[in-house]
Amino acid sequence: MQIQYKPTRTLLQTILHVEILQGMALTLKRLFSKPITRQYPQEKPDVRLGFRGQHALVRDQASGGSKCVACMRCATVCPSRCIRIRYHEDEESGARVVDSYDIEALRCVYCGFCEEVCPVNALVMTEVFEYGAYDRQSIFFDQQRLLENWDRFTELKGGGMDNYVNPFWRPRGADEKTLTAAKRVKVPDDWTLEGQVVGKKFKTERSV
Amino acid sequence: MTRPVTKTLEIPVADGERNPYSLKMGPQHPATHGVLRVDLELDGETILKCTPHVGYLHRGFDKIAENRTYAQTLILTDRLDYIGAMANNVGYCVAVEQLLGFSVPERAKYIRTMVCEMSRICSHLLWLATHALDIGAMTVFLYCFREREILLDLFEELCGARLTFSYPRIGGVRQDVTRKFIDELQRVIHLFPGRIEEYETLIDTNRIWLKRTVGIGKLSGDKALALGLTGPCLRGSGVDYDIRKHRPYDAYDQMDFEVPLGSDGDIYARYRCRMEELRQSLRILQQCVDMLPPGPVLDKDAPDLVMPLHKNTKGGEADSTSYGTGIIKFMEEQGIYPAGDIYVSTEAPKGELGFYFISDGSARAYRMHIRSPSFIHISALPTIAQGELIADLIANIGSLDVVIGECDR
Repeated sequence: MQIQYKPTRTLLQTILHVEILQGMALTLKRLFSKPITRQYPQEKPDVRLGFRGQHALVRDQASGGSKCVACMRCATVCPSRCIRIRYHEDEESGARVVDSYDIEALRCVYCGFCEEVCPVNALVMTEVFEYGAYDRQSIFFDQQRLLENWDRFTELKGGGMDNYVNPFWRPRGADEKTLTAAKRVKVPDDWTLEGQVVGKKFKTERSV
Repeated sequence: MTRPVTKTLEIPVADGERNPYSLKMGPQHPATHGVLRVDLELDGETILKCTPHVGYLHRGFDKIAENRTYAQTLILTDRLDYIGAMANNVGYCVAVEQLLGFSVPERAKYIRTMVCEMSRICSHLLWLATHALDIGAMTVFLYCFREREILLDLFEELCGARLTFSYPRIGGVRQDVTRKFIDELQRVIHLFPGRIEEYETLIDTNRIWLKRTVGIGKLSGDKALALGLTGPCLRGSGVDYDIRKHRPYDAYDQMDFEVPLGSDGDIYARYRCRMEELRQSLRILQQCVDMLPPGPVLDKDAPDLVMPLHKNTKGGEADSTSYGTGIIKFMEEQGIYPAGDIYVSTEAPKGELGFYFISDGSARAYRMHIRSPSFIHISALPTIAQGELIADLIANIGSLDVVIGECDR
């Protein structure tokens, strides 16, 4: 497609500065419309569900601790290698017990792979995005801090976190059969394969 | 303490010749779009020689990729061209899929095409904003950012990030679209044509804009091809080359769109090409929304994030060494990944983005090379800028649409 782009200007238009006035009229019109600028520290932006922000370990209501089973999947998948887990095996039951769980958030690239691979929904990236600090220590999250992050996030959401589902825990459009038992949680209708959005034209063409 | 003056300043002038002087522009100059240094040799205001220096933002992605699995390398591509990161993500995934022989479900192809075009609009809007600001039109800058914000919100709804998306995956995409996303996108498609007209009202026929762009930075089609330019820079010179048309990937072969071509090859032609591309992108978006087929968004054979190809290794003993680096050894024994090399290119907003892989059959690339359009474009700068004025150099850098993150990698 050859584009037509030779602007022409008559003598009268040149003298009267028509194109300049048109531009000015547009900017003048904006003067009377609603401003779109957000006064940030006073007005918080609207953060969408599943925003990849500050890390947290989900606090288990039953035990009061984290749900982590030390499967090491998050530490393995992490591209920036910022997760460090230490565990020992319980001598009687053989179950793994987490000794320490550290996330060095300054190294994190916020890809969200860790929460996606977690088989028990223990790890989450919350919608909290304001946690700047003046020293490195306050952005180094150990297990205690990560659990506190979850509490803070719960407070932010106004409680009722039993029904909270992060989109990365149970990827939208994922087949139920491929997920672990803990990930087969109840989700909104359009997250499932049956309720997914289909194009209007596709529907009509297939019915014909 | 003042230094004693030993010698008065004398400018040596040869007989009948004017002495050129050198000027270092950048690397912190705001008009160079990042950390680009340009060494100039000037005669008055005319550029005799211009040498761009790159490498101030070098992070060694090609090398880091050798130490990450294919799934992990995806996050590096976010940081190439951070303005339209989704196109890089998709380009990388398309390349790896062709190397390893994975297929993508139909729905995922449409979603990828959709996000690619959204990314193109994002990139072109930011290009228009900064380019106009360089030339001196500040209003357009503010208006473009207003629209870009809407698209970034949409990306946030889709994948939880506004800039570094990491959204596609090898063999599909990570998340399906929501109904809210599709509704908002539909609104964007209706809203944007009017907004593009607004920008055109502001600068299209503006006499200052025309003075700064028409006839400046001219490149003939042959010259542009010889310099290796791609994307809107090449199409502005009238060469019909668009990978979306000529070697379609994802769902581009199903799409009905046209490739805008200029003829003069000056800054104004490139500007017009990009503006038309915005409209064509909106057309593609509308078709994607209309024709979105149902089905899964991730192929059932797609490699697992944490243990690539775990699902395909039936009967393989996954012992304790299969975590961490052990997994690589484990898969080498199985001989899963095909060895060989491949070059796959896709149409990123800036031009042809190519990935060249040498695979030795392991889960990591033995060598990954990125053919980034910005690096090629910056090398064309000396040819374009020679003989022109120093003020036009700013306009030239802007019109080539370079992002230093992609240029230096």
